[in-house]
Amino acid sequence: MSKQNNKKIIQEANLETSHQITRKYFFKECFSGIGAMALGSMVGGCDWLGSKDSFGNFTNTNPLMAHAPHFIGKAKSVIYLHMAGAPSQLELFDYKPELLKLDGQDCPQSLLDGKKFAFIRGVPKMLGPQAVFKQRGQSGAWISDNLPHLSTVADEISFLKAVQTDQFNHGPAQLLMHTGSPRLGRPSIGAWVTYGLGTENSNLPGFVVLTSGGNNPDAGKSVWGNGFLPSVYQGVQCRSEGDPVLFLKDPAGIDRDLRKASIDAINEANQLTYNEFKDPEIVARMAQYEMAFKMQISVPDVMNINDEPAYIHEMYGTHPGKASFANNVLLARKLVEKGVRFVQLFDWGWDSHGTDVSNAVDIGLVNKCRTIDKPITALLLDLKQRGLLDETLVVWGGEFGRTPMQENRDGKTLPFKGRDHHTEAFTTWMAGGGIKQGSSFGETDEIGYSAISGKVTAYDMQATILNQLGFDHEKLVYPFQGRSFRLTDVHGRVINEIVA
Amino acid sequence: MLVNRFPKRYLVLSLFVISAFCVSVYFINDKKVDFNTEVKPLLNKKCITCHGGVKRQSGFSLLFRQDALAINKSGKAAILPGDAENSEMIRRLTLKDPEERMPYKHPPLNNDEIALLKNWINQGAQWGNHWAYVPVEETPIPKVGAGPFGWFGQPSWIKNNIDPFIYQKIKQEGLSPSPIADKPTLLRRVSFDIIGMPASDIIAKKYLSNNNEDAYEILVNDLLASQQYGEKWTSMWMDIARYADTKGFEKDDSRTIWRYRDWLIDAFNQDKPYNEFLTEQLAGDLLPNPSDAQYIATAFHRNTLTNDEGGTDNEEFRTAAVIDRVNTTWVTLMGTTFACVQCHSHPYDPFKHEEYYKFMALFNNTSDEDTYAEYPFLKEFHNKDSVRLNQLQTWLHQNAPSREKEIIRFIKTGQPAFNSLAADQIVNGTLEGTIWLLLRNNGTARLKNIDYTGSSLLYYKYRSWKAGGKLQIHLDSANGPLLKNINVENTKGNWKITTIDLPTSNGKHHWYFTYNNRQITNPEESGIVFDWLHFDNPFPKNGSADNTLAAQNFDSLIIATNYTGTPIMIDNPATMSRTTNVFERGNWMVKGKAVVPDVPASLGGLPANAPKNRLGMAMWLTDKKNPLTARTMVNRIWEQLFGQGITETLEDFGTQGIPPTHEALLNYLAWQLMNTHHWSIKKMIKEIVMSATYQQDSKFNNEAASKDPYNKLYARGPRVRLSAEQVRDQALRVSGLLSNKMFGPSVMPYQPEGIWKSPYNGATWNISTEGNQYRRALYTFWKRSAPYPSMISFDGTSREVCSARRIRTNTPLQALNALNDSVYIEAAQHFAKRVQSLVPQNASKQISKAYELAFNKNITEAQQKVFEKLYHISFVKYSQDSLKSQQITGNKNADPGSAALIMVATALLNTDEFLTKN
Repeated sequence: MSKQNNKKIIQEANLETSHQITRKYFFKECFSGIGAMALGSMVGGCDWLGSKDSFGNFTNTNPLMAHAPHFIGKAKSVIYLHMAGAPSQLELFDYKPELLKLDGQDCPQSLLDGKKFAFIRGVPKMLGPQAVFKQRGQSGAWISDNLPHLSTVADEISFLKAVQTDQFNHGPAQLLMHTGSPRLGRPSIGAWVTYGLGTENSNLPGFVVLTSGGNNPDAGKSVWGNGFLPSVYQGVQCRSEGDPVLFLKDPAGIDRDLRKASIDAINEANQLTYNEFKDPEIVARMAQYEMAFKMQISVPDVMNINDEPAYIHEMYGTHPGKASFANNVLLARKLVEKGVRFVQLFDWGWDSHGTDVSNAVDIGLVNKCRTIDKPITALLLDLKQRGLLDETLVVWGGEFGRTPMQENRDGKTLPFKGRDHHTEAFTTWMAGGGIKQGSSFGETDEIGYSAISGKVTAYDMQATILNQLGFDHEKLVYPFQGRSFRLTDVHGRVINEIVA
Repeated sequence: MLVNRFPKRYLVLSLFVISAFCVSVYFINDKKVDFNTEVKPLLNKKCITCHGGVKRQSGFSLLFRQDALAINKSGKAAILPGDAENSEMIRRLTLKDPEERMPYKHPPLNNDEIALLKNWINQGAQWGNHWAYVPVEETPIPKVGAGPFGWFGQPSWIKNNIDPFIYQKIKQEGLSPSPIADKPTLLRRVSFDIIGMPASDIIAKKYLSNNNEDAYEILVNDLLASQQYGEKWTSMWMDIARYADTKGFEKDDSRTIWRYRDWLIDAFNQDKPYNEFLTEQLAGDLLPNPSDAQYIATAFHRNTLTNDEGGTDNEEFRTAAVIDRVNTTWVTLMGTTFACVQCHSHPYDPFKHEEYYKFMALFNNTSDEDTYAEYPFLKEFHNKDSVRLNQLQTWLHQNAPSREKEIIRFIKTGQPAFNSLAADQIVNGTLEGTIWLLLRNNGTARLKNIDYTGSSLLYYKYRSWKAGGKLQIHLDSANGPLLKNINVENTKGNWKITTIDLPTSNGKHHWYFTYNNRQITNPEESGIVFDWLHFDNPFPKNGSADNTLAAQNFDSLIIATNYTGTPIMIDNPATMSRTTNVFERGNWMVKGKAVVPDVPASLGGLPANAPKNRLGMAMWLTDKKNPLTARTMVNRIWEQLFGQGITETLEDFGTQGIPPTHEALLNYLAWQLMNTHHWSIKKMIKEIVMSATYQQDSKFNNEAASKDPYNKLYARGPRVRLSAEQVRDQALRVSGLLSNKMFGPSVMPYQPEGIWKSPYNGATWNISTEGNQYRRALYTFWKRSAPYPSMISFDGTSREVCSARRIRTNTPLQALNALNDSVYIEAAQHFAKRVQSLVPQNASKQISKAYELAFNKNITEAQQKVFEKLYHISFVKYSQDSLKSQQITGNKNADPGSAALIMVATALLNTDEFLTKN
């Protein structure tokens, strides 16, 4: 049997499985209804009432049960590193020597006519690259000295250099990147993936969010929200300070034995209620209390980085007990190792306007780069040494790019060098998870203002992420308000140019 | 003549034969095909993706009959009514060539399906009206008794007119209804459903000790009359209104709109008829002489998001808010997903692309413009200022009645006004933070289309930092005729409202402002910042009547700052009204043709006397002929009581929604709401909860569970987990912590650290005190970007957009929340104390007392054993570890018994029985 044929058969088998268990099937064919029963009892086909395990408990009551995607994906999990605020491609990856020549000159009117900017008013000056660039690795990727460590793993990465968006404000642009719509109310990509795949580790959430930089992303928790999907698919924010998951810790005065005794009592009482009412929902609740008990151990365990060896801390630049992006990156590796499907990191503070020193492209940005350079590089190397990079898709990016012009907020000269929000071209990258190594797709013009080839959008990135996980982005749908919604709305194309 | 030649008996015989033949033909081939139940679902499934409202391949669309019968690109019509054989549609369904055969690249229709479509075309290819788009008519009650037509012996189970509808279907499926639930169960169920929490001890005791027939009805009446009724139904409506205490985007700053929440509580408690309830929310400002309350009702549609993020385009977010108002109105009030029509005609339902924008035009004339201050808002003055307002109004009423309305409106709402953020062509200036117009030295800017015909005064709000500023206003160009020269006072950065005289003017002009100041040498220094402009006339005089005090009152009220300001809807005056255009493919930047305000043709036009504005829209929406409004509301009430709607998709009654399980009952209830109950929500709720259907026991019996696992037939009572609000309220109520305080600004109960982390926002969560931390859940401060955690884990929504229904889930995070959240620990501590105060000694009795307090019934022996075991394990543990006793009780001198009782209390608060409405 040819390899091609074999693959096709496996695909079909998987498709069949997924047909049997996706909620779409459940909705259409069983004609049940989500309002009728709590979701816990709904998944697993029409015959849920009949299937009991040897303890007389109902099985398949978990909506997060692992299921197969549309076809065999190359990636099992995703680590998405979002630099909230939008890092400058012109100081990191998109090298424009021509722009240097124009530094300090008035921006030509042709670049301003009919354009809208968030803060630039009147005629701004051009701003040359504020970093030194070199070509790196076999692939010869241009990476600036702001990222010396990442430069050493350039050959693992596929750059997208002509990403475009139509949103030039942070909140809407972040929403577009993560939910496929600039307005609030849609499910996030992690929620879609969890809805489609479930989770492999029933003691951990399927979709975990870690934030750093002192603030939540501008779009708030909606970038990991469930939108109109059931709330069980929303991202669970794990925190490096306080309870790693809200309300995880037993209150003072209750130890593990007492907690065990109380959950036993709750579930024994629930068993009595079940005997009386025979409502399968009660069984689902008993299972959730047991899972909660297990999570109280498994989550702090996975969130604890103290026991990592010294060389790992050295590699990532981590300091246990401190809230940092580096710690979050290490946690991301631990989480995917334990079977979490989607780990979303938001690092706030990349909005390099030049209004003060912390957001100057030649000072603040350089400092921000230092906080991510080592950990991200370590992540790629660490995943690789564990044999996980092939099945873990790492995505890096912001919500838009930055202008080749220097920002002149309200028509004034700002105290530091900065760049305004820019929608027409910016750089993101992907690595691992079946993405080509050492490649680059898309080009901008000689000053980095416009994309001239290989243009891609947020929808294309989303379609590609889903594709790597084994989903046809046009088929991962959820019926809501009379239509089938999908992450990519009516857009999206898999960027095959960077798929290995 | 022919007749006479045949013997009569032959005639009779042949007539019989002919008619028998006809009858059989009728049944076999010519059975009337029903478009809605047979044809439409087939078309939706197989055809409409390519031949509907979105795509019209070859110009052919099956959405409207008119389009389907029209000549296509091929030059022929696809459907010839009465002639299936020659209809292109049928030919294309039956071809062999896969390139020609339809559906293209999909499996062919089977013979039955093709036969159905042939019959339908032969019968004239009539389009039917979808059930939900037909006005509600009086529905006969099914006869379900024994004997012919069910006239005799109506089953004793039946209590009111709802029950026969349910009973009929239960019987058809070979099931039997369940008996009435026991009194404590019914008490708890109906209390949650009417007041959202367990009944007061007085009401509960009254019901449980009354053994008369009417005990339950008295209970229902008592609950409907209690103040908590309004709170419960307001909680529900807050999802519909996407109520929140913040603006939504980025900084997600606070917004003062709780007066609207209080308006809802009052409206429900007063049982404001639903048609008035809707009219005031949609168009209260357009009613004659609107009261403050009617203005506040319009905050319904001011719960849209405002974007304060720097660099935003205010018109983009103003437009987004208007679109949200349209979509919310349709989804929540009329169970229709209208949002699709934004980009193209509805793919399945009879709404055309252009109709979206006609409907949007009804909403598009309000004066809000995504301003930072959220103009316009209603100022409700306090103390001295409210006295001043009364004095002023009385004076105006007596001395200048013709100007009373306009002056009071300006004082209370600041309208009409031009917001400076509408300025363009700005040179040497900017829209500062995209909030205000700022001019520097030699700065100019334009404000378009200003018309102050009939006014002679300009009021404007501004601030400046230097003396010596000169402001000039030119008409129609920077060098156009000079309208006014103004010396700008230095306000030292403080906002000031000032007045200048204007020459008389006619018609619309563009205003060009120029600002010069010789004292400013730095070209980047700010000169003047404007907020808004308002045109008026001098304060009225009336002969010899003294207007001094009134004018003083007027002046001080304009600048008064001690008020509660609630964002409201107010329409722009005719001179400032906006034109609405179709957005091509839904893109607000690409404006198509202009449209006039209207409602979709397929749902009947505006009533004859209705104005073409929001008030006319409200009249149409609450007209008894509107097929959707009453159906949507009774379905929602049903969902609140039974956990699922009769039409499960509360948000979609269209052809893609899930069809109602009991269509006739839904129609009956809608008719009742409008006609029998005259839109009274309380009466509607009462009718439903008085039914036997509602009062049934909720135990699953085996037969019903296997035939009807989701209780679509209602052969048992509803059994659903409590809502997020109810979970909290019950814990507080049972423990004795609950504050009965109603109304007022939102409060901040205990919340873990680090939830609020919005950028550029230093606001902190300050835990409320003085009992405010124990208020009902609906008073909890709702921050959109970081909602209160337990609301979200128990399936609340973040209220960014409206939510027509919540989807219940069952997760470990809920368990962790109810086990470990300090709110619940505190409730358990208090609950244990409450029990101890009633039963000082004897653990067994304390346990049974706790159960009784929680459920108003006696604990079973088996349950008693479970909790006693937990008590004993805990008691032993706490006896050995006094530190743990101190920690769990929060008391230095705690005894192990008190600590163990807290463990029992927290377990009780976590049982399925407690978290579920049985």
